Amino acid sequence: MTAVAQKPMVAETRTEPGGSWAAVWALALFESRRLLTRVPVLLAFALYLGWTVWRGDKAWGDFPALQDADRATQGTPLLVGLAVLLSVNHAALRSHRHGTDAHFAVLVLPPWRRTAAHALSALAAALVTAVCVAVQFGREALRPGAVGHGSVAELLVGPLTVLLFGLLGLLVAGLVRSALVAPLLIVFCLFLFVASTGTGDGGTQWLMPVVGEASTNTLPTDLIGRPAASHALYLTGLALSLGLLALLVTGGRKPVLLAALAGALALTTVGATGQSGGVSPALAKARERASVHPEQVQTCVRRDGSTYCAYPEWEPRVAEWARVVAGVRSLAGGAAHERPVVVRQRVDARYGLSGDAALESLKRPYEVTVGTQWGGNRVPEFSAAVAAVLIAGDEETATSICDGRIVPVMWLAVGWESEPLDALRRVRLNDTITGSDSVLQPTNGLFMTEAQTQVLRDLLDLPRGEATARVKAHWAELTAPGVTAAGAAKLLGLPAPEGEDKCL
Amino acid sequence: MTPTVSASGIGLRYGGTRALDDVSLRLTGGVTGLLGPNGAGKTTLLRVLATALPADQGAFTVLGHDPSTARGRQEVRRRLGYLPQTPGFHPDFTAFEFVDYVAILKEMTDRGVRHREVRRVLDEVGLADVRGKRMRKLSGGMRQRVALAAALVGDPGFLVLDEPTVGLDPEQRMRFRELIAGAGEGRTVLLSTHQTEDVAMLCHRVLVMAGGRIRFDGTPAELTARAAGRVWSSTERDPGARAGWRTGTGSFRNVGDPPDGADLLEPTLEDGYLLTLDGAGAEVAA
Amino acid sequence: MNRQLLVPVHRTLPWGAVGAAGGAGLLLAALTRTGETGERLSLPLLRAAVLAFALGLVFLLDDPARHTTATVPTPRPVRVALRTALVVPAAAAWWTVALLLVPPDVRPPVGDLTLEAGAAFVLAVTAAAAVVRFTEVTRPGLPVAGGLLTTAVLALLLWPERWALFVAVEDKRWAAAHDRWAVLLAAAALAGMLCTREPLRRGAWRPAR
Repeated sequence: MTAVAQKPMVAETRTEPGGSWAAVWALALFESRRLLTRVPVLLAFALYLGWTVWRGDKAWGDFPALQDADRATQGTPLLVGLAVLLSVNHAALRSHRHGTDAHFAVLVLPPWRRTAAHALSALAAALVTAVCVAVQFGREALRPGAVGHGSVAELLVGPLTVLLFGLLGLLVAGLVRSALVAPLLIVFCLFLFVASTGTGDGGTQWLMPVVGEASTNTLPTDLIGRPAASHALYLTGLALSLGLLALLVTGGRKPVLLAALAGALALTTVGATGQSGGVSPALAKARERASVHPEQVQTCVRRDGSTYCAYPEWEPRVAEWARVVAGVRSLAGGAAHERPVVVRQRVDARYGLSGDAALESLKRPYEVTVGTQWGGNRVPEFSAAVAAVLIAGDEETATSICDGRIVPVMWLAVGWESEPLDALRRVRLNDTITGSDSVLQPTNGLFMTEAQTQVLRDLLDLPRGEATARVKAHWAELTAPGVTAAGAAKLLGLPAPEGEDKCL
Repeated sequence: MTPTVSASGIGLRYGGTRALDDVSLRLTGGVTGLLGPNGAGKTTLLRVLATALPADQGAFTVLGHDPSTARGRQEVRRRLGYLPQTPGFHPDFTAFEFVDYVAILKEMTDRGVRHREVRRVLDEVGLADVRGKRMRKLSGGMRQRVALAAALVGDPGFLVLDEPTVGLDPEQRMRFRELIAGAGEGRTVLLSTHQTEDVAMLCHRVLVMAGGRIRFDGTPAELTARAAGRVWSSTERDPGARAGWRTGTGSFRNVGDPPDGADLLEPTLEDGYLLTLDGAGAEVAA
Repeated sequence: MNRQLLVPVHRTLPWGAVGAAGGAGLLLAALTRTGETGERLSLPLLRAAVLAFALGLVFLLDDPARHTTATVPTPRPVRVALRTALVVPAAAAWWTVALLLVPPDVRPPVGDLTLEAGAAFVLAVTAAAAVVRFTEVTRPGLPVAGGLLTTAVLALLLWPERWALFVAVEDKRWAAAHDRWAVLLAAAALAGMLCTREPLRRGAWRPAR
């Protein structure tokens, strides 16, 4: 053998700080960067953000109830979850698809630790989602009119869904080494979402990652009764189980992994059991009490002689209600101008979030109902209710007004607003400002005939001071039962209406 | 001196065929060439030594560790560079990302150190300019060099290269030889190839495999010497030659057992290789 | 000559992918037999089944030997047509089975839904043909599957109401929507035919016959 300059080949081990787990971490950073720059993931996040920003201003305007806003963060991350499922699956199959298996098999980091890095990349996507959710919710919470309390468990559902889907994609990559499976799985998931919306049958619906509610009712936080904490626990356990299974499938055989899997399955079971409990008797009782005897749970404050009774979370909103009451009373004539009212906040919580039961009108004099939602159409609706109660004396009578008194009622309801016609459009069921239409209120509504609408429009066309003076001058006649639209027009010095004047 | 590879009696069966049959060898520093026809068991031997495939029989150590134990295998892999026959590549990775990815899988965890090392090996294979290009945009030769860079990353003590010069043009092959010769300074390189020129120019030692066995183990000069006096020139094709062909000058170059008084030519490594295989074939047939 | 090609082309078809996708699709269609909820959802289930099968069809033009066969005398349109011709009976049989799996009383209008399915299938193959036409890849299937899926999700979410495609049976826009599906089918088929030509650079293409 030729003598060649040879260096002794001693078996030295390259020492790296941290060992294998540090390598997993380094790989996780690499995979996370790749995952978060895949086209489907970018597209999903863009869509998610676009959708959130676009819809954010429409949902509750400036007066969100945070116990609703937290749930509203759950739906859109599903889209991100599907994109992450696809991308994590393809990343995990990358070596297989491009024939680098043979090469990479002799590299130091064992396959199951590579899987762990992929799992951490799904976690990174979940963290980005968590930031999006936090921003989305934070934006609602920072609105000056926000009330109520968000639930951390509800907020966690979005990020946990993304994690769950990512780990599902990873597990599937470990089980079936074909890239076609993930797209097919997504078709199934898509279908499941479509199928699961609007069908709630007790405990089983909570096995889905995101559980929507049929109603748009807003309840006090303690009456919602969604097993949010158990559900978050269930999702966490499920995600952990999938992730640990993926590690085991790709060759992780440590007893620690098996023990952790057992723990994760136990967590899932605890969560699943906890969320299938249904409505507890105590909750049902509390709901009954808050719905039927709200005075027992409410605190009342006085403003300008009127009394405002609200569920504890809504106390900051009293000022808004007082502003409306003051506006309505400022236009009223006679005794109504000074008449104190009792504003009673009410909600029918007996069916939880599964039904929108209409509220019965109150019978006590000068007591008027306000709902749990505010902003947008809810303002002129409340205004109309206050006006009708001031004129008719109590809510039950007020909601059955069927004569020309509608004209002063609606004048009071919308006349004080800076854009009365806009308020009128919003308070009417079909968004009309001519012809006949129903007027919405927190309890039962009213009906405006074509003639009444016409008189009101003529009145609104006058300068505000002039119109206020005319209404106040003839207050007693205008608010007397039995007055007709034509009569009201005559009293107000307006042209006689030509349209139909017959209520339903 | 501790040999990098020390193997005795390695055997491996694929179904009914013996891919490796009682292979024993010791490798120390420098570049060792592995020659052999297709199906000789070269790739199998390389995969066994690179811990990609377990052997059925025999015992061997690589870099002082026993690859048949999980722990030993990990230790070997920490100090190993492997370029498989068909390396495969991830089309949407950049060259840098691909080598960086391999470096991470080699458990290089310090990001700064790793990135410096990746840049170093990419410079070394002459790809500094296309570092940021996606693999799908690179030519075949460039991809092969990226794969070599991936094998070199982390300064491995033992480099296993399976036909690294396949599909390269002469200039690229030259560049590759430079690289491999450089890599052989201070570490052990085992290079499998069909190109006898590669072996003649690069290796201080050559192994010839056929039928799963090692048929020759010595220096390239010794292999060439096997053909001494067995290559001759003639004007007609010599029926007694094992192989013969008309060269560019019009005369025939014959390899085999020359007739008396033949016009002997200077043998090349290839002549020695062909004659070794020829003998091996006879031996296998016998 | 083309008859002799049938068998080899048949052997190059991605029957595994098509079979897996078809199986998944039939599973979805079979869900309509799982009780009241399934029956109510027969239309979305069938649409999901169509999407699943379309995801298998995008692999139809995967051809690792693409660059080897680029210069053979049999023109590419003929080879693509052969592949398509071989898969059409399979697709038709699959669709028949899928429809038969849906209980007759909840089965949506067969003709209109077949139009939707046809449009989806042709779109899938056209997308693959387009990728082959404009890139150098030999296996367009997987990226196209991702693209098709993304497109389907986006279309479901963002398709403008004015040109609604995914309408319910009782919707009064059903007929108009299926006119649009027919247009989509025709456009996709036309684009697909244009995309089957052998990609050559800079107008060097001449009829190969």
